[in-house]
Amino acid sequence: MYKSPLHIVIMESSKIIYEGLQAIICQSELYCRASRIETLDELSGMLETTKIDILIANQLQFVNREKEIKKIRKAYPSLSVAGIDFGIMQKQPVLTDISFTLYDSAEHIIHTLEKLERKNQSPAQQKNESDNLTKRELEVLTGLVNGMLNKEIADALNISIHTVVRHRKNITVKTGIRSQSGLTIYAISKKIVEIEDIEI
Amino acid sequence: MQMADLIDANPNLLLMLQHFNIDFRVSDQTVMQLCENQGISENLFVSIANLYNGFGTKGHQPFSSEDMLQVIEFLKSSHNYYRWDKYPQISSYIRQLQESHSGKELKLLEKFFNEYFTEVLDHLDYEDNVAFPYFITLLDSEKSEVESEVYSSKEYSDHHTDIELKLQDLKNLLLKYVKIEGDLDLRRKLFFALYELEYDLYIHSLIEESILIPSGISIEREQNV
Repeated sequence: MYKSPLHIVIMESSKIIYEGLQAIICQSELYCRASRIETLDELSGMLETTKIDILIANQLQFVNREKEIKKIRKAYPSLSVAGIDFGIMQKQPVLTDISFTLYDSAEHIIHTLEKLERKNQSPAQQKNESDNLTKRELEVLTGLVNGMLNKEIADALNISIHTVVRHRKNITVKTGIRSQSGLTIYAISKKIVEIEDIEI
Repeated sequence: MQMADLIDANPNLLLMLQHFNIDFRVSDQTVMQLCENQGISENLFVSIANLYNGFGTKGHQPFSSEDMLQVIEFLKSSHNYYRWDKYPQISSYIRQLQESHSGKELKLLEKFFNEYFTEVLDHLDYEDNVAFPYFITLLDSEKSEVESEVYSSKEYSDHHTDIELKLQDLKNLLLKYVKIEGDLDLRRKLFFALYELEYDLYIHSLIEESILIPSGISIEREQNV
């Protein structure tokens, strides 16, 4: 599947810091492109025309502009923000998703960015695979379809009733089907159980 | 505002007129004239029309006992629409599908629907025979002679969700999972019927939750004082 490179924007007025970060990012295995802006005003303009996945920002730029940042974050929920922590500011968890300091190792910084990337992708992937049930969920589903009670399923799989209930909830979220008879039809359509096994 | 214009903007209001037992030939009557001619309070009529148009009722407007009796008649009429019109229609579409496609999945789907239909009928009967008479007694009795241990307004609201959830299951099964080759005409008719039913059921429960139950509870409170 084609995957577009991550677009990372570094908002930092110091050339030394920007070039250092850029070197770390470009030499890593992250599939990305990096661009630079110096001020918050440039960010708004850029967001209107280009998709930005991750913003790495000098948090000093956020001082007294909290409202604007919040507005941007609301308007572009897929944008992740990593703050450069100079150790002089208190953490602002609302404004950034994650932060690193100038003294962190290159590996640590990349690792931090990778975490952000995964966070970004997971909702879309979950949606794609929405009805991909786990092995355990399939086992619980098979039990349900065969008319077993929660307790019987719990005993057969050697798990607690509480866990069975949790699996059932997940099955409903993933399939969109809630009733037992509806799940039976689902299981047959998906060939999870053989139709011969079911009495009509 | 003329009623005919409102219908033009949202034809679903025809269903509302039917539930109020009002003829569709509304001529050029305004809403106010229509209400007056039909002996329905404007407050009630507009509140329900708002629900059909996607707005909530404005706050808790006080409804009179007369209003409440009309609400109950309205709900009974929508029960008949489910019982004699919508569900049989859906049932016949599923039957036709099942007959023209081999495979046990559709047989199971038909069984699923028939069981669901039976549950719905039970529920409708329960409301007609237990819940509504309770509300009517509540409205009639000036003194507190209602046997509130037998039944109460809150209990009533727990009953609906199941009906809507299984309908959701049916739609999801048809939209996402059960494989049927071709027959798009019949399947489209089935989907439209399901969505029409879903829409009216939704409004139905809104009326119960935002008009009938709050009014019932406030009468219960008054009588308990």
